[in-house]
Amino acid sequence: MDKLELERLIFLEKRIKEIAEEFGLLTTDIDFEIVPAQRVLEGMAYNFPKNFSHWSFGRDYDMHRTIFEHTGQGIPYEQVWNFERPKALVVETNPFALKVLVIAHVFGHVDYFLRNNLVQHGRSFADIAQEARDATDRFKKYEEKYGADEVEKTIDAGMSIQWQQHLDPFLEEELDNELARERLIEITRAKLERNSDFGSEFQSPLTKEEKDQIEKYLRHLSQLAPPRPIYDILGYIIKHSLSLKPWQKDVLGVVRNQARALSPMGRTKMADEGWATYWHLQIMRKLFEEKLLDGNDHGVFNDFHSAVTRESRTDFNWYRVGLALFEDIKERWDRGCFGRDFELCEDPVKKAYWDNGAMKGKEKIFQVASFYSDRMIIEEFFTDEFIRKMRLYLYQAEEDPSTGDTIYGIAESRPEVIRMLLKHAFTLYGMMPIKVQNSNHNGQQQLYLKHDFSGLEMDPQYREGTMRNIFYLWNRKVYLESIEDSKQILYSFDGHKHKTEKDK
Amino acid sequence: MPITIPDMVSEQGKADAKRHRDKQKEVIKNNLPHIIANENIITGKRNKIIKIPVKSLQIPRFRPGQTGDGVGIGQGEGEPGDVIGGRPGSEHGQDIIETEVELEELIDLMLEDLGLPKLEEKQLKTILLELGYKITGIVKSGPWTFLNSRATVREGLKRFWNFLNSLIQETGLSELNCFDALKKSQGDLGDALAMLRNPDFQVTAERVEPFPVFTKDDLRFEKVDPNISYQSQAVIIAMMDVSGSMYDQKKYLARSMLFWLVTFLQRIYEHVEIRFIIHHTQAKIVDEDTFFKTQESGGTYCYTAYELANGLVEEEYPTSQYNVYVWHFSDGEDFDHDRTMGEIKKLFAKKINMLGYGEIEPSEKYNKNLPDSGLMSAIKSEFSTQQVSTPEITMITLKTDPFLGVVIQTKEQLLPALKEFLRKERWTNG
Repeated sequence: MDKLELERLIFLEKRIKEIAEEFGLLTTDIDFEIVPAQRVLEGMAYNFPKNFSHWSFGRDYDMHRTIFEHTGQGIPYEQVWNFERPKALVVETNPFALKVLVIAHVFGHVDYFLRNNLVQHGRSFADIAQEARDATDRFKKYEEKYGADEVEKTIDAGMSIQWQQHLDPFLEEELDNELARERLIEITRAKLERNSDFGSEFQSPLTKEEKDQIEKYLRHLSQLAPPRPIYDILGYIIKHSLSLKPWQKDVLGVVRNQARALSPMGRTKMADEGWATYWHLQIMRKLFEEKLLDGNDHGVFNDFHSAVTRESRTDFNWYRVGLALFEDIKERWDRGCFGRDFELCEDPVKKAYWDNGAMKGKEKIFQVASFYSDRMIIEEFFTDEFIRKMRLYLYQAEEDPSTGDTIYGIAESRPEVIRMLLKHAFTLYGMMPIKVQNSNHNGQQQLYLKHDFSGLEMDPQYREGTMRNIFYLWNRKVYLESIEDSKQILYSFDGHKHKTEKDK
Repeated sequence: MPITIPDMVSEQGKADAKRHRDKQKEVIKNNLPHIIANENIITGKRNKIIKIPVKSLQIPRFRPGQTGDGVGIGQGEGEPGDVIGGRPGSEHGQDIIETEVELEELIDLMLEDLGLPKLEEKQLKTILLELGYKITGIVKSGPWTFLNSRATVREGLKRFWNFLNSLIQETGLSELNCFDALKKSQGDLGDALAMLRNPDFQVTAERVEPFPVFTKDDLRFEKVDPNISYQSQAVIIAMMDVSGSMYDQKKYLARSMLFWLVTFLQRIYEHVEIRFIIHHTQAKIVDEDTFFKTQESGGTYCYTAYELANGLVEEEYPTSQYNVYVWHFSDGEDFDHDRTMGEIKKLFAKKINMLGYGEIEPSEKYNKNLPDSGLMSAIKSEFSTQQVSTPEITMITLKTDPFLGVVIQTKEQLLPALKEFLRKERWTNG
């Protein structure tokens, strides 16, 4: 990149920031780095500017690289980190207009980071980048000292359960058994005492039976470990495993922290990407309007913008759907297509041309960006019309009867079904809530896990692999209670064999 | 300045990507018995690069089942029931990305797994081929017909400049004078010197025009040597029983085994020929396609095939020029053991590299006891054999001749059978 181009980019970055502020976006100083494509691919694969070595990052790097090599001249990739002072990477070999587009897109993301109440919280994990950087060398030393295989196995095992977290991503569960127990006893006693003194008009006094029940629970509580089930399985294992070495606890701690820092972002992926895309479009339009970019730039911009937002036959394209979502909300709220009058209106023609000049669109999209997770968005804004307009469908693999090849066909496109499927997918983000029920099962410090069943059965192969990894960390027999075919089922792994016991 | 160009190069991504690929290879290695029995590989055209898709590795985690691959949300035109295309693209979905392993790589992995080092040519029986003569260099003497005029002229010109310079040095006269004298003396240094020393010498040349000056030492001849090449070549004579009892599953096992044998031998030898013989009560030489497709009814005379093989070795593939591997697949039925044994002995007498016999007996599970009838048992009673059993396979070898007999019952036995075949002492000639 020559000096002239760099100066022009620096100038445009300043102007983009001003435009963003004029549009009402929150901004802060962002560090942009112009780097080779390889650096961006690495940034994407390793989650942080620098991170420890692991084959899974290498796999993702390889994947991004393959895609990059097949897309030819430019890649619309950007990488931005939600740090106290956000940092973003721009590919040096990209055409100039694409660099500008990426900068505009990053300003959209940064507003989202500063605005959204889920992601905002993630900023408190800014230290995590430094932790990741420091871990790089420390883990290397562990490899030299304890063997690359042991380190890899430990990371593998940690990653196996790193996303097992409490559904509230910001809740820090009390992992210390005694502290948790004290707190529970305190709360329960307080409840008991308050109630025994007097009933209130809202609450009848506890019956003798209920009181006995609570007393029994209190006695029982003294033997429980953990006193209250813990969803943060990895956190609990780090704290209580009898076999983990200090260096392993260090490694696992880093693995756990990274997942905790990253998971809030996973809950707003569609909104975040949609928001950034929506705003890069507005900002770029403004730049063309101001003639800061020329006709040639416009061609490049058009190509890449449409490439990023094109329909995908076999993928849920976050950029396309997210962008359309904000455009749809903006239009509906500008026309006043909401509220009692609109909902009660039964004339489809009238509804189609509804416009009461409400002009509430901008206010609404900022509200959605601030307070909604992807799941909430699906519930509220994925209307039948929107799903139809997006032409979303469920596809399924089937066998071509004539050739025996696998082909993919549309299986379902009814809006209510698509909405349900998406909601499902966005509720748990593919995670299955599982909690540590007992860490002293059979009085032999065996680990008893319980799956909060919500209708989805586990993939058996993955389950066995995961239990094997948990065993590696806990080094005592591991149990997992779940549901299969509507019946309670107990899986176990003792280090050698997987066993399944069905409830008769 | 908010926009900077940092100066850094990292190799971490590449290094970790390599680790992932190595891990994938481990997975492939562990699954070799299944992978090599994969029908797609075997039925593919030979010599075509065959790619085996290998999924990228995933960290196991608790995740819902039944949502596996091939299901997802997409968008675009279409109604339920419409086909949207083949394999989903690898645009964003990382589960779908597959690495491809080429057959070559797979073979490397198998060799590695079999504990075979990279094969070296010199361990093989090589055959001396006389291809006439070839020029291998330049020498100072030889018959006139091999005179290399270019090289000789080059030497002569060197000599010319050499003489000219010494004349200048000797006499202190100009280059043109010296050249003139050298020219008039026709390249004789002594005569030229005498001419120059003669005060009456008249210079007639107008410019220096170099010409080659030869002494006997300047002649250059081609060096000609006999052209000998050491080549490793092999022939595989593949024989198969196509009588009524050889149904598809048996043939499939035979075909798989043969595919890998050929693939390996192609790796070892520069030239591998394959000849196909099918037999029932009669034998005939056929092409590859016919070999696998023919299905005849009726009984079986194995000796007919061995007879033909003997003929081929005698007429087309003498063991002095070829490494000969004969492989026979049958289900053991044979109506004339005695004649078969006779033909087998003839083959051994010709010093072939190896006779392999695969008795195909599809069965649900591996049975260590060899059948007590059929060709295998006939061989056992005719020759002095050794029986070796491993947890995967039972085979017999002969004490005196290069023979390997295996009973193949399941797909999973292909790899162990190959492993036995590939043990170095079997395919090299001492």
